[in-house]
Amino acid sequence: MIIEEAVAFLKKVPPFQFLEEGRLHSIALNLALEFYPKDTLIHRQNGPPSKHLGIIKKGAIKVFVVTEDGEEVVIDYRSEGATFGFLSLIGKDKVRSNVMAIEDTIAYLLNKEIVHQLLTSNPDVTEFLLKAHLATYIDKTYKEMHSKSMFHGGSDRLLFTTQVGELATKMVITAASTASIQDAARIMVTKKVSALVITDHDGQPAGMVTDRDLRDKVVAQGLVISEPVSAIMSKPPLITVDARDFCFEAILRMIRHNVHHVLVLKENKLHGIVTNHDFMILQGASPLSFAKFIENQDRISSLVPVSAKINRVIDLLLKEGAKASNITKIISELNDRIVRKVLTIAEKQYGPPPVPYCWIVYGSEGRKEQTFRTDQDNGLIFQDVEDSELRTRAEEYFASLAIFVRDALTTCGFPLCPGDYMAANPLWRKPLSAWKEQFAGWVNTPTSEAILASVILFDFRGVHGELALAEQLRAHLSHLSRQKDMFFKHMADMVVATRPPLGFFKTFVVEKNGEHKDKLNLKIKCLAPLINVVRLFSLEEGLPETSTLERIQALKDRHPIIRELGDDLEHALEFIMLLRIHHQSAQIEAGEEPNNYIDPEKLSNLEKNTLQTSCKLISKAQESIVRKYSPGTVM
Amino acid sequence: MLRDLAKQLLEGLEGLQARIYSTPTSLPGQRGPESPTDPDTLLREARYVVFDTELTGLSRRKDSVVSLGAVLVENGRIPLGEYFYRVVSPRTALTGKSVVIHGITPTEASDSPTIEALLPEFMRFCKNSILVGHFVGIDKHFLDMELKQFNGGRFRQPMIDTHKANTWLRNRRDNPCAFHECQAQDMSLAALATSYGITAQNAHNALDDAYVTAQVWQRFLWELPLLGLERVRDILAIAGV
Repeated sequence: MIIEEAVAFLKKVPPFQFLEEGRLHSIALNLALEFYPKDTLIHRQNGPPSKHLGIIKKGAIKVFVVTEDGEEVVIDYRSEGATFGFLSLIGKDKVRSNVMAIEDTIAYLLNKEIVHQLLTSNPDVTEFLLKAHLATYIDKTYKEMHSKSMFHGGSDRLLFTTQVGELATKMVITAASTASIQDAARIMVTKKVSALVITDHDGQPAGMVTDRDLRDKVVAQGLVISEPVSAIMSKPPLITVDARDFCFEAILRMIRHNVHHVLVLKENKLHGIVTNHDFMILQGASPLSFAKFIENQDRISSLVPVSAKINRVIDLLLKEGAKASNITKIISELNDRIVRKVLTIAEKQYGPPPVPYCWIVYGSEGRKEQTFRTDQDNGLIFQDVEDSELRTRAEEYFASLAIFVRDALTTCGFPLCPGDYMAANPLWRKPLSAWKEQFAGWVNTPTSEAILASVILFDFRGVHGELALAEQLRAHLSHLSRQKDMFFKHMADMVVATRPPLGFFKTFVVEKNGEHKDKLNLKIKCLAPLINVVRLFSLEEGLPETSTLERIQALKDRHPIIRELGDDLEHALEFIMLLRIHHQSAQIEAGEEPNNYIDPEKLSNLEKNTLQTSCKLISKAQESIVRKYSPGTVM
Repeated sequence: MLRDLAKQLLEGLEGLQARIYSTPTSLPGQRGPESPTDPDTLLREARYVVFDTELTGLSRRKDSVVSLGAVLVENGRIPLGEYFYRVVSPRTALTGKSVVIHGITPTEASDSPTIEALLPEFMRFCKNSILVGHFVGIDKHFLDMELKQFNGGRFRQPMIDTHKANTWLRNRRDNPCAFHECQAQDMSLAALATSYGITAQNAHNALDDAYVTAQVWQRFLWELPLLGLERVRDILAIAGV
């Protein structure tokens, strides 16, 4: 019956699911069912406050504000089970944002009185609703407020939306309280930290020593450095913050207690430490300050923490509402810088290269589509040399260099390539002429191994050294592949071999068994088919671009299929990549190893629809390849 | 931070100290506009009682009402707490065939009050409302029959048939091809609900069917004004019974 149906629905929806059944029953009796056709403006910005909390039963809505410049800023998309109208309901003034149905939407409306009663009696409900509504609202509107100044764009806001736990350095450097001041100072120097946590004999934090303590209490007062460090440490109560607190609370505490370091506790255990420097990085347009930081390092060991922090940059960018393509671009840029830095350090160690060389990357790195820690995919082209002695010297030099880089990148957290596509493997470290021969071999004799290698290698781009070498190889490839129908036919076979899942959501092709049963491999089933289609077109046209997005843009003027589908394919790519980044970000947050398996059941209606549309689109592009090359048939 | 904000906001609310209902806001039928529906009322502003009956069978003379379910549509919304549902002890015997459909057993039915006892309550629930139903002519026939037996009267309220309204809408939708396709279409409530993506539970329970019909009516209240039917009189002219 209708009340039972509503109770069953509420049981699945936070925050109502926290309530007991009797309560849900009385809430259900006070619900009204409302229907909004697609495009109905449910709440109008600056309109009268709403009298109901809406709970979406079916459909989706968009929350957005229109700025003074008439620009529309989307604050949130919400679908089944989400609520709307909360802020407007508890605020007594006007509505702050527009709410529009973007699908035909059925909503339960809960009247104001009941909502107020819930708020006073259930702190859980209050906290949930405030978090769900206020956090997104502050998040996006802050961005809007600051968007006019390019230099301060979003940075202040991050302080209000980033939790301390995300920013804290998890590895806390400690020293025993019995250690001497000098020992403590030495540890700080070798570990390059400005604060040291002093532990008692149980290993519990007993106090903290900072750069400033050394200056104020040791140097200025002429204290003997053989004294135990406990003499100068700041003693409990230590200034701490909870990992879930927002950054500005930590800053407030620093200001209030006049300290530059705060210990971060998670469930009352030491979780990490934050310094005012961390906040400075957060406040400065963060990816940029990371880049600067990378530039200033001169040792591999000091690069390690930076590369670990790249994951954090992704989170910040996600929060900023950045597009997936921008996120991957920034990540690739930072990774490029790390690679360059590693190579610079290597060149310092082994001396200048005997002949010019170019370090190339391929795979996702070559396409600038990296997200979280991706495998090393790299190679090395060096200039052809006639002189055999010089050639031997070059080979030896580049072997040492490549192995150094491989190990350094591993230290920095870039896993080895399982297929051994790395410059440390002599196959992928050779003179330009040998590379040219290699590519010619693949194109002229397209065995399945050759196709497999070419889909990885042909996305190459130079990142360091004599970039002209990479450009010459690219030009050679464009020339080679002209009119090579047999090669493209074989590549087409590969491109259409994996079809994206089609049809209604419930029938999404998912893993049938094993660890990832009923999950969808987003990378293999959706992303790779799209990338492969675009690569094929791009190679056909001999284009130099390697990133899928740039390829699509370049193809729009040249390729009939992309002319027709290009804009939609761009959206599909952005959407699938974003879905993947969000998924992996959540996994990392939960302390899991990131993978590509998403649970289609957990997608919102809107996401399901978009994913379906994207898959249909990819399939359409594949169809055009089938028509052109009729793969599977002998030509 | 959020907790502080919550506190501030809640402090601001103290004055409101709302009246809380743990039961439906009022007993069915005790509320409603003061005057009967003016045919000039805007469609969305009228008060509708959407109802359905289950019968002992489909013979217009031999059969009678075995259950009665109704929900309200007010300002385009369906307040869930204000429903009406009663099982009736029918005047005529339940046929095995109909038991299979509506699931009301002869024992359950015979334990229930007679329609005479329930009609006044239902009439109060419907007061000052327009009645709406799918193929409402059938329901009206049986209710009138009961009423005639009861006090010699009949339902005077205007009634709207969602089936008629749907046919009218289909004939006016943009695509003329759609019209022909629809000719062969299933005219059942279930089919109509499905076409609107409305999920139906327990078909042939009078209350659930009334709820589904009300949701269809909710859609019509958006669609009809777009096609020029703005007032109650307009809809009565095309789908009145």
